[in-house]
Amino acid sequence: MSDRDPVVLIVEDEPDVAETYRLWLQDGYEVRVAQNGDEGLDKLDDEVDVVLLDRMMPGLSGDRVLELIREEELGCRVAMVTAVEPDFGILEMGFDAYLSKPIGSDQLKETVENLLDRSEYDDLLQEYYSLVEKQATLEATKSRVELADSEEYERLTSEIGALRDDLSDTLDGIEDDEDFIATVRRLGDVEEY
Amino acid sequence: MSKNTERMYDFADVLDVEVLSSVAPGSTVLVSGPAMTGKEALMFDILADGVREDEGAVVVTTGDRAGSVIDAIESRAPGMAGHQLGIVDCRGGSDGDRDDYGGAYVHHAGSPSDLTGIGIGITNSFERIQDAGFEEGRLALSSLSTMLTYTDEQTVFKFCHVLSERLDAAGFLGCFAIDSSAHDDRTLQIITQVFDGLIEIRETDGTREARVKGLRPDPSGWIEL
Repeated sequence: MSDRDPVVLIVEDEPDVAETYRLWLQDGYEVRVAQNGDEGLDKLDDEVDVVLLDRMMPGLSGDRVLELIREEELGCRVAMVTAVEPDFGILEMGFDAYLSKPIGSDQLKETVENLLDRSEYDDLLQEYYSLVEKQATLEATKSRVELADSEEYERLTSEIGALRDDLSDTLDGIEDDEDFIATVRRLGDVEEY
Repeated sequence: MSKNTERMYDFADVLDVEVLSSVAPGSTVLVSGPAMTGKEALMFDILADGVREDEGAVVVTTGDRAGSVIDAIESRAPGMAGHQLGIVDCRGGSDGDRDDYGGAYVHHAGSPSDLTGIGIGITNSFERIQDAGFEEGRLALSSLSTMLTYTDEQTVFKFCHVLSERLDAAGFLGCFAIDSSAHDDRTLQIITQVFDGLIEIRETDGTREARVKGLRPDPSGWIEL
């Protein structure tokens, strides 16, 4: 994780509501606010970690903004903010979480935190895979004796152990079904791109 | 290691190796061997063994249709209750051969690369089994080799890791089949790394044997099947 605060982009057409979210999040996050879908896309770049996206907005709808975000393959997580609880189509729609209005401060912070954890989990899993791959390559090319003498191999092995621990500490070891499905879906998404 | 339950899984009746009489909840085992050496039959034996002990069973299948998987388990565990069983059929389309599953839960995923569909099927299966009052359960996935023909090694590796974590959270046991003759050593090494244990199957001069590695430091000897 870098030193900078995570960046949250709020896309919300009601200024009072957007301001409330901004105040709740301003400690600990860099917050950007956009009043509609077009402005949201303008303020969206690689640095944005989480988008809070209002579904019902005049002009470009939240659903359309989400589609464009996914088409652009931006790495951000999207929490859809809805007036009504969506049906099970949630998984197919490609957002990472939904929040039903009205939203409380704790709920908002927890959701943002959970989405950041999921991103961290993905990053750790990617790192874990690359180390395991390196280890397997070494094992395929060196003898047992060479491996026993190899500092690189020893370092890799201990890093892999540490990453496994980090992974099981993140997201409480995928205890939650939504975390499980979201993480698995993300793997599939990468495949489709 | 699971925080949910202390009860160990015992399938030494299926494969007579001491370490298999006490396997920690949340453990995952890779069943590796060449084609046609009975990997799937062994996994069905392991699941049916649990069903007879009042455990749930979940099968993720890329080969056999849901109906034939149910028959395979039921023939090994006569009298099982339908709600003990969840099947995730990854062959796409509907199960042409039947639509009555005897109370078992069946989820159809689009293909072996439809990880979201497979994930939803697994989650629903766990929920149904746990809601029916079964605290223990065993999952079998057959096979990773088919998944590897639909998606890359990296995605399968990650999927197995995430599923292992989910199994650990549920306190269930997982076994995953791979055709060792279909992949190079490097791929096998990478995939093996995900799992807590390894059951290797080999066939020499018409005799099938298995040995167990992991779960405990030393490999077991070879046991005739």
